[in-house]
Amino acid sequence: MGVRKELEKTPGYKAANHRIDSWWWLVALVIGIVVLLATLQPDPYWRVIRFVSDGLLVTIGVTVTAFILTLVFGLVIALGRLAKHGFVRWFTTIYVEIARGVPLLVQLLFWYFAFPSLIQALGRLFRIDAMAHYLANPFLMAILGLTVCYSAYMSEIYRAGIQSIPKGQNEAARSLGMTQNQAMRHIILPQAFRVVLPPVGNEFISLLKDSSLVSTVAVADLTRRGREFMASTFLPVETWIMVALIYLIMTLISARIVAWIERKTQTEEH
Amino acid sequence: MTSTPIIQIENVCKNFGETAALNGVSLDVFPGEVVLVIGPSGSGKSTLLRCINRLEIFDAGSICVDNIPLTTAENINAVRTEVGMVFQSFNLFPHLSVLENVTVAQKVVRKRTPQEAIDIARGLLDKVGIPEKENDFPGQLSGGQQQRVAIARALAMNPKIMLFDEPTSALDPEMIQEVLDVMLQLAEEGMTMVVVSHEMGFARAAADRAVLMDEGLIVEEAVPDILFSNPTQERTKAFLSKIL
Repeated sequence: MGVRKELEKTPGYKAANHRIDSWWWLVALVIGIVVLLATLQPDPYWRVIRFVSDGLLVTIGVTVTAFILTLVFGLVIALGRLAKHGFVRWFTTIYVEIARGVPLLVQLLFWYFAFPSLIQALGRLFRIDAMAHYLANPFLMAILGLTVCYSAYMSEIYRAGIQSIPKGQNEAARSLGMTQNQAMRHIILPQAFRVVLPPVGNEFISLLKDSSLVSTVAVADLTRRGREFMASTFLPVETWIMVALIYLIMTLISARIVAWIERKTQTEEH
Repeated sequence: MTSTPIIQIENVCKNFGETAALNGVSLDVFPGEVVLVIGPSGSGKSTLLRCINRLEIFDAGSICVDNIPLTTAENINAVRTEVGMVFQSFNLFPHLSVLENVTVAQKVVRKRTPQEAIDIARGLLDKVGIPEKENDFPGQLSGGQQQRVAIARALAMNPKIMLFDEPTSALDPEMIQEVLDVMLQLAEEGMTMVVVSHEMGFARAAADRAVLMDEGLIVEEAVPDILFSNPTQERTKAFLSKIL
């Protein structure tokens, strides 16, 4: 892009974009503490890390999968709430209100415990064998629960972003003969995506933290593995300090990346 | 001007809530004609212009553009591809380069190949006098340059009619002429134009007819020189005495 080259010539661009974000020291500090604890006192700290490491991968897997689904599904809901069609608007609004109005933990419990029972009851009622013997996969139910809840919040971010684009942009596109869908795709959404990047990044951090709730519905994530380690060793202090530090490293790194994206979109604004 | 009108506006009414913006306006514009619409703010002149390509939905009356009535969605899009519009606030697409601003609708709506679209865009940027800015972004241009890109963007669709909604009102004085020059050139080439503007110099040089609107009605219409120097209506005299 030509503009990138032009911008790089201006002094402000370099200063804002190539300076190392000074808050990385906090990330380094927390990583340093973890390394220090693990080397100076391998028992129990290194043991905790070894024990929960598979749970860490589950946490990352659940978070990233649910986040990607949320990005897509949230956009669908946002477009539904902005649709001309009255029923579509009505339906998506109800969805957002319910998904935001019920605590995430309760939603996760519903999808894991209540939803399969409902399916089984329906299966028995209509004599459909596959449904009657339906068993919930905890991993899938957890991702479903997180996605359903977070898509509601994500759709509100998208909606605000789309509505922040001046009306004249749509009018200009329509006056050139574009249909509403073409104007949305080529003119409105590309601009809205820039606006929503920072809040979307913050949603990722929230989702990462809230993913610890899936430990209550039989998913062996970082939190659940921590609980198991505590139960077998009776070392609550060491266990939860280490688990907290691992979460903190992930959220701090994510926050730095979000801050970097935020600076980047600001300097590229014309 | 013996042919049939290319724009036929009949008895159009438009209300914004309680206030009436248009109170039954009728106006015919013939191919190749340049019509200037003047009037105090709130007189409905921008609303009338926006009704012609249905950016504003009118409540009563009818508008036909090139014999296509503005009724169904297909008709409205057909009309919009024949009618170019230039806005007071330019409304360039800030995330696209100047060249992309002029090519995007050609590719999406007219289904031209990228190379065709670029060739046409370069020709038009040359015509509006800023061929060297094609890789810049709108935010890097002056207001006058932005408005000229907006004109090129509209022309790229090969419109039969161009609508100008106060194209120079948002510009610094020294940039007004560069935009008017482009508009004058278009008028000389025979483009049908409806212009909402108070640029009297442009009106005298290019307009075939001037229309004065007030309170949602056309008060008077005449050749610009006659309307400006010899108005018949009291309302016209009062308005002209304020702006001349």
